[in-house]
Amino acid sequence: MNIQVNGEIVSLEGPVTVTALLAQQRVESPDMVAVQINGEFIEKESYADIMIENGAEVEFLYFMGGGA
Amino acid sequence: MTGFATRAVHGPISRTDAHQGLRPPVYDTVSFGFDSAEEIEQAFAGKMAKHSYSRISNPTVEAFEQRVLLLSGGRGAIAVSSGMAAIANVVLALAGSDTNIVAGRYLFGNTASLFTESLSPWGLETRFVDMSDLKALAGAIDHKTRLVFLESITNPQLEVADLKAITEIAHDKDVPVVLDNTVTTFYLCSSIKLGVDIEVVSSTKYISGGATSVGGLIIDNGIFDWKKSARLAPLTKKFGPYALMAALRQEIYRNLGSCMSPHTAFLQTLGLETLGLRIEKSCANTHELALFLEQHPNVVRVNYPGLPSNPWHGIAQEQFQGRYGGILTFDLESRAHCFRSLNALKLIKRATNINDNKTLALHPSSTIFGEFADLRKEEMGVRPSMIRLSVGIEDVEDLKEDLRQALERKV
Repeated sequence: MNIQVNGEIVSLEGPVTVTALLAQQRVESPDMVAVQINGEFIEKESYADIMIENGAEVEFLYFMGGGA
Repeated sequence: MTGFATRAVHGPISRTDAHQGLRPPVYDTVSFGFDSAEEIEQAFAGKMAKHSYSRISNPTVEAFEQRVLLLSGGRGAIAVSSGMAAIANVVLALAGSDTNIVAGRYLFGNTASLFTESLSPWGLETRFVDMSDLKALAGAIDHKTRLVFLESITNPQLEVADLKAITEIAHDKDVPVVLDNTVTTFYLCSSIKLGVDIEVVSSTKYISGGATSVGGLIIDNGIFDWKKSARLAPLTKKFGPYALMAALRQEIYRNLGSCMSPHTAFLQTLGLETLGLRIEKSCANTHELALFLEQHPNVVRVNYPGLPSNPWHGIAQEQFQGRYGGILTFDLESRAHCFRSLNALKLIKRATNINDNKTLALHPSSTIFGEFADLRKEEMGVRPSMIRLSVGIEDVEDLKEDLRQALERKV
């Protein structure tokens, strides 16, 4: 199946949990990332339960941004 | 990992250190390199967990913020340069011109000055209310109110408000509550359990672990729906419940430049490890000194929430897990007597600051409230006959002996 992660197409074998996707994508600082699936924010407590399905648009957001 | 002390000492470690150091390194660097233009673009867009510029974020400061979140709970934390910076950032993020904030009638002098002197020319109205008068609080909130602000124990009046009742009233009117939790910290006062939306802390005090460094914290407890905030509602479309963190990190905090230094973050992470131990000792000492001073013939009165006769004793006991903080005040006959006794102290330091490891004594009326007129000081409960003690972690008998000889000095 294919999903989008931060605008990039990612191919996966099947539906995955948010926790699994964070690990698969080798996301640094998973404690600091905010996760959106199809425009909805997911609470951290639900990362191990929510399944990401085919066609989902996932956004990983960090509140660092840039400057100077 | 459930106990406070265990969490304080051990973690979390969010990032792997190349050398598996048991303590995060100090990243005394302004800027950070990237492997590609695409990567730095992603970082600026907030799509990659990489630091770009230490005014905005820094790995050592991040490690401190993560440890604070592990101890306090909540959705997000930002470490800033001082407690006053924390307060200013939050007010600027939530309020604006032609709006008002409802604040406790008794506030730290500089906080009151920030509201009435620094921000009022920009069109912010501050409505001061007695937070023990819940009707007055409810009556002061209107459609232009952007937040309710109070201190967990007021300094130096030592009043304690009913936080659960206050948050219920504020939330009923869709207004967030901001609590200055400096003198109790998340160790004694779990603001998230009491329904507080934002906690601000001067980490200069208890958290720094011996007055090593000036710092502050903003903690979003993740309770308030930011769609109800006039300032933050537009940001919820993109950031949802993270709207406040986004507003601070990507605009207010970033633009004000009130960042914490990496070295301060290192020191204060170390301070967190002994926070519980030091607060327990400080509170125990304060309690004993309050009882000692109450019995002394030269002392007119003692104010400390830990005394059963204190009007705030019950609510303090409930909210602060049976401890009452590390500050007490006592009155002598006169200002002159206060000065004579302060001058006679040999161990206790004549110094401003609170919650240091050392016990500190101050005459608030002539110092931290010195800029206010006498009538205003009276309204703020600051008397010329009052001494404030911030009690440290020394052996309590040594503190009693120093107070005894200072109080009994004739000239």
